[in-house]
Amino acid sequence: MSELETVLATLHRSAAAMAADPRPPARIRLGAAGVTLEWDLLSAGESTSDGGSAGAPAVLLPAGVTPAGAVPNGAAPLGTAAAAEQAGSPGAVATAHHVLSAPTVGVFYRASEPGAAPFVDTGDLISPGQQVGIVEAMKLMIPVEADRGGRVVDVLCADATAVEFGAPLFAVAVD
Amino acid sequence: MHTVLIANRGEIALRVLRTCREMGLRTVAVYSTADEGSAIVREADEAVRIGPGPARRSYNHIPAVIEAARMTGADAIHPGYGFLSENPDFAEVCAGEGITFVGPPPGVMERLGDKASARAAMVAAGLPLLPGSTDAIDDPDRAKALADEIGYPVIIKAVAGGGGRGMAVVREAAAFADTYRRTRAGAAAVFGDGRVYVERYLDSARHVEIQVLCDAHGDGVHLGARDCSVQRRHQKLVEETPAPGLSAEVQHAIGVDAVRAVLSVGYEGAGTVEFLVDGDGRHYFMEVNCRLQVEHPVSEMVTGIDLVAEQLRVAMGEPLRFTQEQVPLDGVAIECRINAEDPTKDFAPTPALLEAVDLPGGPFVRVDTHVAAGRRIPPEYDSLLAKVIVWGPDRDTALRRMDRALAETRIRGERLATTAEFLRGVIAEPEFRAGRHDTGLLERMKDRSRGVPV
Repeated sequence: MSELETVLATLHRSAAAMAADPRPPARIRLGAAGVTLEWDLLSAGESTSDGGSAGAPAVLLPAGVTPAGAVPNGAAPLGTAAAAEQAGSPGAVATAHHVLSAPTVGVFYRASEPGAAPFVDTGDLISPGQQVGIVEAMKLMIPVEADRGGRVVDVLCADATAVEFGAPLFAVAVD
Repeated sequence: MHTVLIANRGEIALRVLRTCREMGLRTVAVYSTADEGSAIVREADEAVRIGPGPARRSYNHIPAVIEAARMTGADAIHPGYGFLSENPDFAEVCAGEGITFVGPPPGVMERLGDKASARAAMVAAGLPLLPGSTDAIDDPDRAKALADEIGYPVIIKAVAGGGGRGMAVVREAAAFADTYRRTRAGAAAVFGDGRVYVERYLDSARHVEIQVLCDAHGDGVHLGARDCSVQRRHQKLVEETPAPGLSAEVQHAIGVDAVRAVLSVGYEGAGTVEFLVDGDGRHYFMEVNCRLQVEHPVSEMVTGIDLVAEQLRVAMGEPLRFTQEQVPLDGVAIECRINAEDPTKDFAPTPALLEAVDLPGGPFVRVDTHVAAGRRIPPEYDSLLAKVIVWGPDRDTALRRMDRALAETRIRGERLATTAEFLRGVIAEPEFRAGRHDTGLLERMKDRSRGVPV
């Protein structure tokens, strides 16, 4: 991990801890080593179904830092890097979340059985391969596993809902 | 029956949907991510995305299709052709879920889908077979001995094969052992079933098939014979009905035999019994296709019978609404398959973005297609773009009409090649015009174009 990624990961963790508070603040702004992480929690509930723009923590980069370096490997946040590059200036805002989607068509369940605690909830940290839900197709319980590590910022699909292949289930801020 | 899920894609999905709509049935489309925004997805009352591009995870994935049916309340599934259409496991799962599978019962499909047991059943029902084994032969020495006895050339066929795959011709004894081994290995890899059987191979033969339609009450009719002898790599390019060169009486007699044979195993629904006809006009049973065929429209054109509507009525348990005498066989119908393939490169598929699509119209022309300008032809599936079907009171009129229709067909795209122009050349061939062609026609045309004397 580069120094920048370490800083970002630390900031993410701290921000997530604050956001998990029963009465979370309206906005979290953390800075370290010239990198600032800003998260507007008030607008988080307003536009998340598409992977969300408002609910995402925003990374504000210092001058001289390549945006690509601030983005963990993988596809979803690449738009962020491109946007930052386009802006061509520090302070460009990161927006996209990784969307964890249904592996098959069926009924999506958040818990292993009715009444049990959900596999994951908003604010939880997940790692690649971790089970986060179930899609039941023809009485087969197909586990939904995280394809990326990170923090769950939103649950996009209600428990016991019929889903198509590729239906968005969770928004994940990748680490 | 009120809601039909169409477990297919492309032109056949749309064709099934149209009849459902005419019958007042609600329709559900299922689609893969490669078919996002396709015509069937737009036209259906409901559409469910069931998986990614590869068919094994979408159109061939039984749990996904069944879940889509459950989600949408579909009480029947029409499988079209290909994909799950001849999968007895799928038919059985449908039955277990209380969903009507539009096709023959699973047990019948299983028996006829295995080419070895189909041969045994059909020979028992009195259909003539080419010399060969009525069972799979697992022992190379026994297979070789049988091939020697039959006489070369022989053809080795996978019992699970289909669509022109899983077969190989052996022309001399020395090559048998090697080809036998390769065909078995190939069949095991492609179909998950390495069993093969051996029969005599006819170099000069016509592919003639009977369209049958049976209800669940033991009655059946045939809708005449189709000739599908214009093939490349055992895949059909031009189909017509009636079969030229065979008298109406002979075609009817083969049809009656075919109906009796499939009824003897409890067949229900639409199906096709395929035969080879040799140079002397003798016919030999090949296989039964337990589904709607790509070329079914030519039979619809000469009979006025909507085969999909009849399939659905049979699936609802209704008796056939006509007797054999009430099935008209009027005039001549021809179908040409416009594929995204390059005839100059051994029919290599050319998946591409379609920039311009002009399809023929006018009197007695039917076009079954799902394509339009701006659509991309995905590389995951077959290359069929459109079926151009024409009717005429006689073969000559129908052929002139087909040439006119093909001339109107202009489908363009970057790096796209189609069979349209090539097929104009085929139907202009003197032996095709005269109705004397056989399955070797395209090879002879290729040789001629290379200057090889024939």
